[in-house]
Amino acid sequence: MKKSAYSALVLTLALIALPNVAMAATKTLDNLQAGFNGESNAHARYLAFAEKADQESYGEVASLFRAAAKAEEVHAANHAVVIKKMGGTPQAKIETPVVNSTKENLEAALKGESYERDTMYPEFLRQARDEGNRDAVQTFNLAKMAESEHAKLYSEAVNNLAKLKGSRAKDYFVCTVCGNTTSKLDFSKCPACFTSKEKFEKVS
Amino acid sequence: MLQFSAIPSWDALHPLIIHFPIALLLIAPIFIVVGAVLTPAKGRSYLIAAMVLLLVGTASIFVAVETGEAAGKLAERTPGVARVLETHESLAERTQAVFSVLSVIFLALLTVPWLLKASDTRLTTTILPLAFLVLYSAGALLLVNTAHNGGRLVHEFGVRAMVTSAPSDANAALPMETPDRD
Repeated sequence: MKKSAYSALVLTLALIALPNVAMAATKTLDNLQAGFNGESNAHARYLAFAEKADQESYGEVASLFRAAAKAEEVHAANHAVVIKKMGGTPQAKIETPVVNSTKENLEAALKGESYERDTMYPEFLRQARDEGNRDAVQTFNLAKMAESEHAKLYSEAVNNLAKLKGSRAKDYFVCTVCGNTTSKLDFSKCPACFTSKEKFEKVS
Repeated sequence: MLQFSAIPSWDALHPLIIHFPIALLLIAPIFIVVGAVLTPAKGRSYLIAAMVLLLVGTASIFVAVETGEAAGKLAERTPGVARVLETHESLAERTQAVFSVLSVIFLALLTVPWLLKASDTRLTTTILPLAFLVLYSAGALLLVNTAHNGGRLVHEFGVRAMVTSAPSDANAALPMETPDRD
């Protein structure tokens, strides 16, 4: 009698606990998939924006979009590694980018990066930390840091757009490990992921 | 029943490892002073002990730097955190380089006379070790400064290593955003 009561208690606790654990694991996997989808679309969108910026003679802005596109590609790849490690298959639904004027494209890009920096990745990070998923924390954190830099660079470009008309392509450097994007390699290691600056890829 | 915790991941080792260089490398000069004050015959064993502390301490700096970089990738950055983390990382690298050089110098100081089969004299067991301590003080200052910046990250900015991989309520108790003290 005592044994069966104990078994019933264990079974009840397991029934309560298991769905919560399963739900938690699914949540970060869902977040990774959302991140992978978002980054993959951002990559395609920024390349389209770069083409438009070139057409409108904003060479420097086109370079910035190409650099950011490269960074988003790195983030997508990093998310994909974690998704696979968790037993999932990375899936992205690439939508046809909506391309407007370069000014509008910059504003849209700034809005997107700000959302990722302030809302999306902080929430993903909180969830991943709650689940103790350090791989997910790392990939979300590195992406968040790079998105912050992108937001700064886009903001500067929006504020100086008039001056950038007729500008030539500019060199940007993208960390091939974390996607950190900068116009100056004034450090020996990536400030975000500590990768040697030799591993930065020049994009212009 | 005795229960053992899971082996920590590489990045989670940082809070544990950092205490080794701090303790070993700040104790080593005490042994050098004792070795230098005693007679050459009696002092030699203290100098050898100092060398062991120096070598193990320096090796632990390498591990501390590597685990620190791994832990740094998990640390959420505010402008304040980013600035202190950058300083901490840069100082750690310099500390690593300085103690590597100090280790080579001290190793040479103790082994060259032995290789030359020269007997211990006041020059080799007192004067040179004390001169070495002057150089050592630069390394010790760097070490303390590095540790201080690491301490600021934890105690001033609330940056924590992810010590466990298991789902835990502990994380819920942490601040979601590390406070920015700018």
